[in-house]
Amino acid sequence: MSTYVLIFLAGVAGSAHCIGMCGGFACALGAGSPGRAAVLWRQLVYNAGRVTSYCFIGAVVGHLGTLLVGHGGEGTWASFAQRALAASSGLLMVYVGLQYLSSFTRRRPLPLTLGGEWISQGLRQLIGHPSLAAPLAFGVLNGLLPCPLVYAFAAQAAGSGSTLDGLLVMGAFGLGTFPAMLLAGAAGGWVRRAASPAPSPTARLGSLRGSAVAGLAWRRHGVRIAGAFIVVLGLVTLARGVLPMGAHLHGV
Amino acid sequence: MTPSCAHCGLPAGRLAQRRETDGVERWFCCYGCCLAFQFEHGSHEEPEAASLLIRVGAGGFLAMNIMLFSLLLYAGAFAGNDAVPTGLVHWILLGLATALVAVLAGPFLSGARQALGEGRLGADTLVCIGALAAYGYSAYGVVSGSAAVYFDTAAMVLVLFTVGRYLEAQGRVRAMRSVAPMLAGDRAQVTVVTADGEVVRPVAAVRPGDAIRVRPGERVAVDGEVLAGRSQCDESILTGQPAPCPKRPGDWVHAGSLNGTGLLLVRASVAGCDTRWVRLGRLVREALSRKSPLGEAMDRAASRFVPGVLLLALATAGFWASRADLGEALLTGLSVLVVACPCSLGLAAPLASALGIGQAAQRGILVRGSSVLERLADLRCVAFDKTGTLTAGRLRVVALDTDAVGPAAALRRVCRVASGSEHPLARAVVAYARQQGAEAAPAEEVRALPGAGVEGLIDGERCVIGSAALVGAVDPTPLAEAWATAVPHGATAVYVAWNGRVHGRFVLADELRPGAGEAVAQLRSAGLRTLLLSGDGPQAVAPLAATLGMDDWSAALSPEDKVHRLRQESAVRGPVAMVGDGLNDGPVLAAAAVGIAFGDATDLARESADVIVPAGRLDLLPWVLALAQRVHRSVRANLLWAFGYNAVALALAAAGLLQPVTAAALMALSSAIVVARSLRANGADVAPGAAASGYLPRSQRIDDARLLHD
Repeated sequence: MSTYVLIFLAGVAGSAHCIGMCGGFACALGAGSPGRAAVLWRQLVYNAGRVTSYCFIGAVVGHLGTLLVGHGGEGTWASFAQRALAASSGLLMVYVGLQYLSSFTRRRPLPLTLGGEWISQGLRQLIGHPSLAAPLAFGVLNGLLPCPLVYAFAAQAAGSGSTLDGLLVMGAFGLGTFPAMLLAGAAGGWVRRAASPAPSPTARLGSLRGSAVAGLAWRRHGVRIAGAFIVVLGLVTLARGVLPMGAHLHGV
Repeated sequence: MTPSCAHCGLPAGRLAQRRETDGVERWFCCYGCCLAFQFEHGSHEEPEAASLLIRVGAGGFLAMNIMLFSLLLYAGAFAGNDAVPTGLVHWILLGLATALVAVLAGPFLSGARQALGEGRLGADTLVCIGALAAYGYSAYGVVSGSAAVYFDTAAMVLVLFTVGRYLEAQGRVRAMRSVAPMLAGDRAQVTVVTADGEVVRPVAAVRPGDAIRVRPGERVAVDGEVLAGRSQCDESILTGQPAPCPKRPGDWVHAGSLNGTGLLLVRASVAGCDTRWVRLGRLVREALSRKSPLGEAMDRAASRFVPGVLLLALATAGFWASRADLGEALLTGLSVLVVACPCSLGLAAPLASALGIGQAAQRGILVRGSSVLERLADLRCVAFDKTGTLTAGRLRVVALDTDAVGPAAALRRVCRVASGSEHPLARAVVAYARQQGAEAAPAEEVRALPGAGVEGLIDGERCVIGSAALVGAVDPTPLAEAWATAVPHGATAVYVAWNGRVHGRFVLADELRPGAGEAVAQLRSAGLRTLLLSGDGPQAVAPLAATLGMDDWSAALSPEDKVHRLRQESAVRGPVAMVGDGLNDGPVLAAAAVGIAFGDATDLARESADVIVPAGRLDLLPWVLALAQRVHRSVRANLLWAFGYNAVALALAAAGLLQPVTAAALMALSSAIVVARSLRANGADVAPGAAASGYLPRSQRIDDARLLHD
């Protein structure tokens, strides 16, 4: 259980990154609706969609992990494969965590471009739509956006050894990001009432993100803390793969 | 120092990537931020596609929940847990799946119903039967307390097919995007300058005489005259030529052209809904909406294919039911249904054609419908009209021979005597003389001699300009002795005589259009037979055909003769295209497999043409044929590919080697691949005469299409 608390906290700290990246979406989503209750409802639906995507990723990755290594006793090939998977997941997490922690200078662009335009184009179609299902759809797609934080916890889910554990890892992370994103959305609704009506959802989105950017120093700290959490969790996962079985880390 | 992310503001760090967006280099800390940035800074568009995406998202939410519970069931997470009995999970799944079917099955059901109304079975029918069978069987299982539930299958089939639909819709949207500026004519907003100041109005509200302000970089939305300001306009949307045209007060601007860096004030000459831009948009839209014969053939084939697939699925289910349990048999039958879905077959042809029509339109070429593209690709022979098509239909002096008096004397006299004449030969000669710098006051007693020439008095001395017969009466010396070279075939000679002697000879010929020789040579090297059909006499036609290297020619043809000759040719060689100016050869253009006219696409006189190329742009002709062939190849390759893919997948499914979910994923992938292949095959574009005419890359010319910048 303590692992999930750790992951939840990492999610809370990591939302410093989420707000920068996705906070603008949350603001814009609430902006078109009349009244406080409608804003809250849209935010809840959006975040439910987002967290569901995370849970889904976690469960699928966890399930794939178990399929890959199978279930085996001590000393079997399956056991070795499971430990190898945990070790590589842990390494990947440490790698991502260190990126958040420090600033290495060598840069290499990610080779991920396939389908990117389509996702961003799709999101653009949803942002201004008045339908109640639009924030849900937006949340689902938002949850599938590539993000190093998600990669890190998906890696942990893959190494977790079971479908349920995978789901819980990603679920705990998603819930950790929930409060900050909800606040960002509520702030969006609040700012909208204070300001004069903006011409277009995208323009509004840009102006609202300004407030999130203002807390840059604070957010930078948050991201560092999240990086530290990920490194610790990565080391635990790594240890589960590397250390002998008797080290009693399995329950962590 | 590490740069910070252009989107979220955090230090870009190690995963940083550099992207050029809007021509500015930016750093992003992760790919997600890069996407989010593009999303935020693009324009909001295509609201009609949004509802489909909402379905995908909401359906995805439900389907992910179904998958979560199903995965946990498979993994045995609920086993031995008394608090959450399996039966309860099944009921939850039933609830989720019912909601999912309600959200996602609608479009497929209405598609199936529509097809059924037309007396056929479509791809939608297969999806409906497959998904509803899985859902119904599982629902029955839940109610009767059986353990066999396949809600995850029903959910994933529906979601994946909806995703496939969405990808197809996006592909169409992208294909249409290249022609978007052309279609935007009637939706444009203009700034009208009134006595009370500037008002923004829709273009339809513009009346002739209104003053319109056009800002730098804005698209001009009216046809009219520049009142004030200087700028340069890119008129490529209308002419296909991207070279900027300078505009100053008094010049005409055309709706659809893109204003350069200056601010212009324009007086509209026609109503806003009647500009060439708007009319062109209507024609392009019409062309895009015409269904191609190949597309229709595919639809017919699919409708015959579907009942067969249903039978095969039933047979497969029956076969497996006799060997394994009913649930397994049902899943196998379902896989067959799903994998045989001919979605991508119906997608390849329209997508590639729309792209082709769009690309042609960007160069000012109007192709009237996808069937025209198909016929263009099948051509065996191209027949040309002469005057106005290969030649400019305008006489020009090609040579001036004089005796010892020298050209200057002859030119001066021509200028003085012939400048008042309206005869085409006289005008061509005078134009040439002025071009050479001769300028003088008109002669006295100038008199036109109908059918022969013109005469006048210069310093008391009679000067005659005209035909050989006319000057023969002045100077009896045989002309053949006076000039060393004969007048070439197809050319006309005009003589100048004064003082009782012939002193000069002008040789005039119809001017060959630039690029005519190259166009004919390119067509021939592409394996097409070229033919010259003209109403002019053989002495004019034969040398031209020889100069251009035509395979064959026919002269002195009436319009009916041309139609007859064309029919003969197509009976022997196969489909023949006729290239004309579209004004007086309507019947021939209509009779040809493809009628190609030069000129302004919005001119009603060119109604009978299938393809309209900007006036004088013979160089575009080989390009448009190559385009048609490229589209043709891409469509064939895609159809072949889709058929092969379906056939292999079908065999695997019937053998029971494919899960329905995998099958649905394969089909969505097939749609995605066909879309991507079509977009890429027709996007990799070779501009016509790129070096010579300085075509810009497509992305630079169609600013409206630049939504995503990498």
